[in-house]
Amino acid sequence: MQWMHKDLLDIDNLTAQEIEHILQTAVPMKEVLARPIKKLPTLRGKSIALMFYESSTRTRTSFETAAKILGADITNFSVAQSSVSKGESLLDTAKTLQAMNIDLVVIRHTSSGAPEFLAEWLTAGVINGGDGQHAHPTQALLDYFTIKDHLGGFKGKKILIIGDVLHSRVARSNALGLKKLGAEVTFIGPPTLLSPEMKYLGVKISYDLDKELPGADAVMALRLQLERQQSGLVPSIREYNRLYGLTRERIEKTGKPTIVMHPGPMNRGVEIASDLADSVQSVIEEQVTNGVAVRMALIYLMIGGGTANVVD
Amino acid sequence: MMEGTPKNRIMDEDGIRRAISRISHEIVEKSKGTENLVLVGVRTRGVPLAERIQERILEFENVRLPLGLLDITLYRDDLSMIDVQPVLHETRVPFSIEGKTLILIDDVLFTGRTVRAALNALIDLGRPHKIQLAVLIDRGHRELPIRADFVGKNVPTSSRETISVCLKETDENEEVLLWEKL
Amino acid sequence: MLWIKNVRMVDPSQGISAIGDLLVKDGRIAKTGERFSEEDVLAVLGVKKINQVDQVEGQGKYLFPGLIDVHVHLREPGQEDKEDIQSGTRAAVRGGFTSILAMANTKPVVDTRAMVEFVRHQAQRAGKARVYPVAAVTKGFLGQELVEMVDLKDGGAVAFSDDGKGIQSAETMRLSLEYAKLTGCPIISHCEDNNLAGQGVMRKGEASARLGLKGIPASAESVMVARDVLIAGETGGKVHIAHVSTKESVWILRAAKKLGIDVSAEVNPHHLLFTDEDVKLTNASYKVNPPLAGREDQEALLEGLLDGTIDMLATDHAPHTWEEKTRPFAETPFGINALETVLAAVWQELVLKGKMNIEKVVQLWSVNPACRFGLEGGTLRAGTPADLVLFDPAWREIITAESLESKAQNTPFLGKELQGFPIMTWVGGKIVMNRDHN
Repeated sequence: MQWMHKDLLDIDNLTAQEIEHILQTAVPMKEVLARPIKKLPTLRGKSIALMFYESSTRTRTSFETAAKILGADITNFSVAQSSVSKGESLLDTAKTLQAMNIDLVVIRHTSSGAPEFLAEWLTAGVINGGDGQHAHPTQALLDYFTIKDHLGGFKGKKILIIGDVLHSRVARSNALGLKKLGAEVTFIGPPTLLSPEMKYLGVKISYDLDKELPGADAVMALRLQLERQQSGLVPSIREYNRLYGLTRERIEKTGKPTIVMHPGPMNRGVEIASDLADSVQSVIEEQVTNGVAVRMALIYLMIGGGTANVVD
Repeated sequence: MMEGTPKNRIMDEDGIRRAISRISHEIVEKSKGTENLVLVGVRTRGVPLAERIQERILEFENVRLPLGLLDITLYRDDLSMIDVQPVLHETRVPFSIEGKTLILIDDVLFTGRTVRAALNALIDLGRPHKIQLAVLIDRGHRELPIRADFVGKNVPTSSRETISVCLKETDENEEVLLWEKL
Repeated sequence: MLWIKNVRMVDPSQGISAIGDLLVKDGRIAKTGERFSEEDVLAVLGVKKINQVDQVEGQGKYLFPGLIDVHVHLREPGQEDKEDIQSGTRAAVRGGFTSILAMANTKPVVDTRAMVEFVRHQAQRAGKARVYPVAAVTKGFLGQELVEMVDLKDGGAVAFSDDGKGIQSAETMRLSLEYAKLTGCPIISHCEDNNLAGQGVMRKGEASARLGLKGIPASAESVMVARDVLIAGETGGKVHIAHVSTKESVWILRAAKKLGIDVSAEVNPHHLLFTDEDVKLTNASYKVNPPLAGREDQEALLEGLLDGTIDMLATDHAPHTWEEKTRPFAETPFGINALETVLAAVWQELVLKGKMNIEKVVQLWSVNPACRFGLEGGTLRAGTPADLVLFDPAWREIITAESLESKAQNTPFLGKELQGFPIMTWVGGKIVMNRDHN
C-alpha cells in the first residue's frame, strides 16, 4: 500500500486500509522508541513547523519528539512568540512558511477548519493537530493503535466514549475511524453534552453509562472542562461524577478485561477515579507512548519519500 | 518480478545450499568458535539466509546463535529520490549486541549503500565488538569503501545487468539469475 | 423617449403577462399595449420623427417593473472597504434592482436625520438605483433609547431596523412598535436571540456536527419571530420580519396572518438555493446570518412564499472584503454578496426548475415590497416612473471578481457560470445599466 495524501486533516479522508497501513507502520516506530538510542537519520534535512494556536503540551511534545527521533528539524511557532499575536493572518503565516520551504506543517487551532484552510494554500503537507470541535485525527490514530494492541483488532468490539462528546473533536474523529474499522461505538453523556445529531456518525447514543457497560471492550473517558458547569451544561461536578465518572466498581460491570482509555489531561476524581487511572486496566500511559509512534509513522509516510503517488 | 530477460542462471538450489554451508563454516572458523557470535539478517532476503546459516551452525556446532532481523528503510539515503516509498517493517534484534561479533547477512552486495544503512542501524542498537559481512553474491560496482568478509560467489557484472536472488521462503523458486535490463 | 417592442411584459400589479410594447415619456411610463405602430408611438410620445425615440427590440426577453430589494447593506459611511453607495447601487442596477432599502448598521449607524440625508444624497450623486434609507430603531444600535422616528421619516427613512442584531429586550420592541405608529413605517425585525445563538456560526444540526462548527439552533430565530408578532398583535404595530429561515417561523407567520396581525416577511434567496449541507469549512461565502438551514426549512419557506405567508424576496446583500472572508470559517463575518447574481440564481434554480413562476418572482420582488413600504414603482401602470428591467433568459455569464460591480466577492457563485441576467435597467426612464455596453 502506498500513502496517497498530501495532508492529514481528518479521519474521514482515510480508508480502513489506509488506517491499518499507518498502524502497521507505527509498529516498527514503537520498537525504535524502546531503544537506548532513539534517533534515526530518516528525515535528515526535512523541516517541520509546529503551529500551535491553542495551548497543548501533550500533542505538541508528542509531535516534537516524533519529528526529532526521525531526524527532522523543528520550528516551533507558538502563539505567544510569533507574529500571530501581532495580528498576522493565518494566510500570511502560511505564505511565510511556504517561503521557508517547510516540508510539513502541524497545526492546532481553536477554529474548526483552520487546517483545511492552511492545506488549501500550502504545497507542504499539513497535519491537523486538533481544530476547534472538528477533528483530532492523530489522537484517534493513537487510540486505534492502543485498541488494536490490546484487543487484537476492531471487528465487533464494543467501544464506549463517555462524557463531553459535544465539544470533543477526539470523540468525533475516533468514531469516524472506528466505524470504518468495524467496531461498535456508543457515545454516552448527559443530553446537554451529547446532541442527537451526532447520530450521523452511525454511533449509538445513550445517556445511561451503567446500562451500556456490560460487554464493553474499551471505555474512553473524555475530559470534562470544568467551565462546563459555569455555563450551565452540567449542574455540578458531583452529579456528573455520579452519573458518568468511571470507577473500579463500575468498570467491573463490563464482565471483561476492559481497557480504560483517556486522551488526557485527566481530571482525576471527575471523569475517572484515580485508582482506576493507575490500575492495570488503564492504558492511558501507553496511549502517550503510542502517540509518538503513530505520529512518527504518519510523518514518515507523509514526507519520508516516495511522493510520486500523492493524489491530493 | 524483474523486467527483461534472464541471461544466465548463476546458482541453482544445490549451489545455494553449498555456498551457505561454506559461509557457515567460514564464520565459525574465522571466529574460532561460536562464542560471542550473533547473526543479523537484512530484510528481505537476508533474513532467510541468516536463518539457514543459523540452522547449519546448529547442525555442526550444536549451538543456536542469536538471530536478529534488520529493516534498513529508515536509514536509507535515497528516500527522497525514489518514487515508491518502501513499506516499513519491524527491526527485531531481541538481544544485546554490545561487545558481540556480529555477522550481518544480506543476499547481494552491490553499491554498498544498503550495508552502509545497515551499519548505521546496528550502531544505533549498541556497540558490537566487531561487525562482519556475509553475502550470497558480490556483483561489484561499489560506491562506498565496503567489502564482504564472507562471499558465496563473486559475479562480475556490467551496469546493464542485474542480479535476482530467489529463495523458497520469499519466492516460489530457489535460484540466482543474471538479467539484462530492458 | 423610449419604445420597448415586442417584449414579454410581466406586471402582476395589473395581472399582465403578455407580449407587447411599452412607451416611456419624460421619465414615466406613457403607455403599454399589444403592438404599437410607428404612428401610435409618434402620437403618444408627441414627437414628429421616429428617430427621436430610442427603440429597444425585446424579442425573447422579459420586461419587469424594476425590482425592489428591501434588504441591502451598502456599508457607507464607515466601511467603504467592503462597499460604498456608488458601488452598491451600481451592483443593484446590474442585478435588476431599481430601488433598494439601505440598512442602518453603518459606522456610525443611521440614527439621526443628518445620516439619513447623507445616505440619500450619496445615492443621488451615484445616480443609479433609488436608495431608501432604513433608520435604526434604537440610538447607536444599543437596544435602549428609541431614535427620533418622526424626524428621521421626514428626512427620508422608510422603515426602522436594528438589522445586524436582534432587539433583545421585548419591552424595547414593544415601545418601538407603539411609537412607530406616528410614522406609519414598519419596524423591520432581525430576529435572533443572542443567548440561543451563542457563539454559533452555522445552523445547529448534523452538518454543524460533521464540520465541528458551533451551531445556532433554529429556535434562536423562531422564538423572536413569535415574540414580535405577538407584540405587533397586541400593540397594533406594523412589523416586517427580515430574513425568515426556519419552518417554525413560517408556521408562526401563517398563524399571525390568519389572526390579522399587521406583519409582513421576507426570505433571502440564498435560503432557497442552499442548505446547511452546502456549507464548506474553507468557503465562508456560505456563512450567513441567519445561517443556511435544513431541507425541510427550505421547503417550508418556498411553500410560505407561494401561499402568501411570506410577502417578498430580499437579498440581504452583505458585502465583506476578501481579507475578512479568507480566514478560518468561524473567524469570518456573516454575509453573502448577492445583488448581481441573485436574479440569475433564482431564474436558474427556481423558475427554470418549475418551483416558482416568473410572475410570482416579480410579485415578490417588486409589487409587494413597493406596497408594504409605500414606495413608487412595482408596476408598469401608465403614469408611474419608468423603473424598468429588461431580462434576457438566455444570457450566460461567468461570475468573476472583475465582472462584479460590488467591491466584494463573497459569493458562492464566484467562478461559476449562471444563466438569465438583466441586460438593461432604467430608473426614471434613464438608462442606468446596459450589459451590451459594459
